[in-house]
Amino acid sequence: MNGVVVTGLGVVTPHGDDPEAMFAALMRGESAIKPVFPELPKPAAAATAPFNELRWFTKLQLAGVDRVSQLAVAAASLAMKDAGDLGDVDPERIGVFAGCGMGGAASLETAYRGGPRVPPLTVPAFMPNAPASHVALRHGVNGPVLTYSVACASSSVAIAEAAKAVQAGDVDLAIAGGSEALIVPGVVLAWQAMQTLASVAAPDEAARSVRPFAADRSGFALGEGAGFLILESAERARRRGARSYAALSGWGLSCDATHLTKPDAPGQARALRAALRRAGLQPRDIGYCNAHGTATRIGDPVEREALASVWGDAIGELRVSSTKALHGHLLGAAGALEAVITVLALHHRQMPPNAHCESVDPACQMNLVLQAGERAGALEAAISNSFAFGGTNSVLLFQRG
Amino acid sequence: MSSLQALQDLVHEKYGIEASALDPNESMREKGFDSLALVEFIFAVEDHFSIRLPDDDPNLDTLAQLAALVDKTLAAKAAQPAKAGDAVPVVPPVEIQQTVHPAPSAPSA
Repeated sequence: MNGVVVTGLGVVTPHGDDPEAMFAALMRGESAIKPVFPELPKPAAAATAPFNELRWFTKLQLAGVDRVSQLAVAAASLAMKDAGDLGDVDPERIGVFAGCGMGGAASLETAYRGGPRVPPLTVPAFMPNAPASHVALRHGVNGPVLTYSVACASSSVAIAEAAKAVQAGDVDLAIAGGSEALIVPGVVLAWQAMQTLASVAAPDEAARSVRPFAADRSGFALGEGAGFLILESAERARRRGARSYAALSGWGLSCDATHLTKPDAPGQARALRAALRRAGLQPRDIGYCNAHGTATRIGDPVEREALASVWGDAIGELRVSSTKALHGHLLGAAGALEAVITVLALHHRQMPPNAHCESVDPACQMNLVLQAGERAGALEAAISNSFAFGGTNSVLLFQRG
Repeated sequence: MSSLQALQDLVHEKYGIEASALDPNESMREKGFDSLALVEFIFAVEDHFSIRLPDDDPNLDTLAQLAALVDKTLAAKAAQPAKAGDAVPVVPPVEIQQTVHPAPSAPSA
């Protein structure tokens, strides 16, 4: 069977658009979460991405292009560049597999609140498949150009579907990942109403407000950004002399089908087992898990329960961290960003910390990466978990090589 | 007076394109104004002059043609007898197509 490898990485994140610099900042435990929208009745915090759209578009090209698409084009272009000389590739044999939870939130918000006239390109700006289409336009992709909108698992699912397409020989090259940009007042208010955001009593508490698996956790902060990976067959990568960051050797998808928003450990465990099975690995082969870890009261212990039920006696050997404490929850782009982080953890054999967890909740007891700067000399395989509202669970499994 | 200069200023302000880089008789589409960008620009022109341009010319393709259309529309507006409170509406009338959603009735299953 054809192995699938990762040969390019591109990101636009709250920690910048250089994957190595971003990873280094995470390794140091630097939080990018800051206070936003002081005019809102309830204090809010989020992680916004530093980004200059004019580096990627002329002003004329920006007509009808929402930020969510701008971020996607930038990250996908950086990933393509990072993959080096792609050799001869038929545009019909390239695919874009992009995750997006909401689409162009800023365009919708502007249409409603911006002024007397609704901008004429509001619809093509906010449609959730716009980011994938703009990536295709920019890179002349004529193969499948698909969007996966699966809430917080969107881009993890997109990467799994891309890997399937590469493995099946449907495409030679997949641009896989996702983008999200919904840090606008209306969306922040909606998430506050959902009671899932971390409480921020004072502005100077924003940076440490997200505390996954901690006894005093109170939820997540929204983040924005985009991440894309270039996937191709191991054989093709070898033939063109490409650098391979890691092999994407397993993926598992499942649905809880128990509740729209309440997570379910057996459902998550099914996705974890499916990923291990596809990779032909045992739980103890996995050294690191980049957890979904949204720091909600309900979510974190359920993820712990799912991992423990699959890992059994080996759970103590699995190192776990949720990097959402530092970059926020990128929702539809979370799976892609966290896949990039997991790949870099393997590549550098270093594990980013589970920050701000001074006192671990006994119900979340695991071998958490509590210190910044931890090395993992023998790390061979790692997983990235993404569990969505709607009940869909997606697990990606990467191996060195 | 022709509105061409004002249109050139607007193109510069919105897109950073100098007047010298866009010949008034040159195809705007060939200069990167695709149909979407053109729609957005026409909205900006309407807002700038507080007018509503007739959308009866799909072949509109040069700045000079657009300037002529703006001039014609401005002239027509000036010729109208002004009535008290007869301002050009900034918000165009929107035709709302009524979609009837039947009220939920007893479950049909």
